[in-house]
Amino acid sequence: MDQLLQVLVAGLKNGSIYALVALGFTIVYAATGAINFAQGEFFMLGGMLCVSFTELGLPLPAAAVAAIATTAAIGAVFELLAVRPVAGDDPLRIIMVTIGGAVVLRQLALHIFGPDERALAPFTEGASLKALGVAVELQTLWVWGLTAIAVVALALLYRKTSFGRAMRATAIRTDAARLVGVNTGMMVTVAFALAAGLGALAGVAVAPLTQTAFFVGAAIGVKGFAAAILGGIGKPISAVAGGLLLGLLESFAAGYLDPAYKDGVALVVLLVVLFVAPQGLLGRARRVKA
Amino acid sequence: MSGRTLRALAPLVAVAVALVVPLVVSDRFLLKVFTFCGVNALVVVGLALLFGYAGQISLGNAAFVGLGAYTSAFCTVELGWPWLLGFAAAGAVAALGGLALAIPSLRLKGHYLAMATLGFGLLMSLAFLEAEPITGGVDGFTGIPFPSIGPVEFRSASSLYWLVWGCVGVAVLVAHNITSLRPGRAMRALHGSELGAQACGVDIVGVKVRTFVVSALMAGLAGALYAGVVGFISPSLFTLTASVTFIAMTIVGGTSSLAGPIVAAVALTLVQYVDALIPGLPRETAQTIQSYQEDIYGIAIVLIVIFAPRGLAGLWKRRNARNEAS
Repeated sequence: MDQLLQVLVAGLKNGSIYALVALGFTIVYAATGAINFAQGEFFMLGGMLCVSFTELGLPLPAAAVAAIATTAAIGAVFELLAVRPVAGDDPLRIIMVTIGGAVVLRQLALHIFGPDERALAPFTEGASLKALGVAVELQTLWVWGLTAIAVVALALLYRKTSFGRAMRATAIRTDAARLVGVNTGMMVTVAFALAAGLGALAGVAVAPLTQTAFFVGAAIGVKGFAAAILGGIGKPISAVAGGLLLGLLESFAAGYLDPAYKDGVALVVLLVVLFVAPQGLLGRARRVKA
Repeated sequence: MSGRTLRALAPLVAVAVALVVPLVVSDRFLLKVFTFCGVNALVVVGLALLFGYAGQISLGNAAFVGLGAYTSAFCTVELGWPWLLGFAAAGAVAALGGLALAIPSLRLKGHYLAMATLGFGLLMSLAFLEAEPITGGVDGFTGIPFPSIGPVEFRSASSLYWLVWGCVGVAVLVAHNITSLRPGRAMRALHGSELGAQACGVDIVGVKVRTFVVSALMAGLAGALYAGVVGFISPSLFTLTASVTFIAMTIVGGTSSLAGPIVAAVALTLVQYVDALIPGLPRETAQTIQSYQEDIYGIAIVLIVIFAPRGLAGLWKRRNARNEAS
């Protein structure tokens, strides 16, 4: 029983992180119909920038906000410089440009921050909470809280503001949105900034639990995508469900089978879902957006 | 010289250059560098068929290189097979791997296919690491024998060079035949529009699977050659980074071309060994260039995709077309 709960806690912790990264994939996919292969690099940048800002003397909350804002700005610039020029005709070109862009971002981080792994101090010092025989690190509570806040804020933005409605309109049909006066180009830029910011938030939140380094982007990117496609890409709520489910699957495989399987789980899930049901568990088969 | 004569002469010049290299290069390390160029070129010829002609992206071809390398190492070291048999087995296992990936991937295209191949590549690099009894785990495989065919052993740097570039030559011939005949037209039709190709009676499933298998086969043979040339392999060689490097070479080289990707493969491989290429180069400069090697790959991908989506080959063709017009 204790082990079951502990495995659940660990799974939901990692799952929240995957959910945030998966949301980034979903937002960009909704706006452009393309997968951003650089999404994992935003996660990496968030963590690395936050570590660097604290080393420069900023207090942690300010460093975290600055890291997320900087990464969001990088996401917007990334869209304007690299993705915008190839948008439209051939989805293959967007894939290639984001793959190349991911390499460039990772190498930039290597040159700026160096090759070493870095760690961030926990947001709040203190012993783990113990209840029902389970220990929950305080940082895990931060991860859950921040994920919940981000998801609710995103839902409010999408549903309650005219800006969010404009974004949804762009996602449903770009040309129609443009006809009714939506600046669809700006919506795509904002989508990249939002996705980058969410990725950075995940990177910041998890940095105290696992160390971070310039090379962590690719692995988390694949897991985030696996989560997004497990839930069914395109809807924010499926991304969250997919993330939590993937986290639990991983955690159960590591806890009950063999820890060595942990990293393989997401890859197997990714391939099985792609091969068997690319529309995901919650999604319905839909027209491929050109 | 008109574009047409240039085009007719280019293959002859390329073969002549490839033949002359071992005669004028006496430095053994430099010759080995050119041999590595050949290994990468072999992988890239396969990717040029898959990506440049058929328009199917693969971010997992390093896994096939690894499959070939480990198969040949296992067959020669553990089973004591003759090298040629291990070489054939490497090609067969890699081709089977390609088949295993291609069949379930048939429904996927674009970014889904890219993700599936990427996931497959990562899964395979995990397998190379974890399947310790077969692959030697982190430490990898040492003491892989030099390639040999019957009594002939390829030991010297120049003989290895001949062997590798000989294989590249055969691969180019095969690929050229594929692309200039019916299958090539089918592949290009697939690249243009899958629906259109299907409507014209192209067996798109067959074309996709066969192209995937051929590209995996070439990657596997390249892996076996690499293992024989170096004598040592480890999982760190067959990672996502390597797959991205191969796709960078293919993208920079250009679509609908074999020469472009080969030139790009050689050029981008040489970046890594710039110190061997330019003997007088100060060590620090060489190290700086090497530490920016992956930046160069990444920036090259981005710039080519934005400004010259058909790659070097496209630029070259455009130049020729302009010359002929004027």
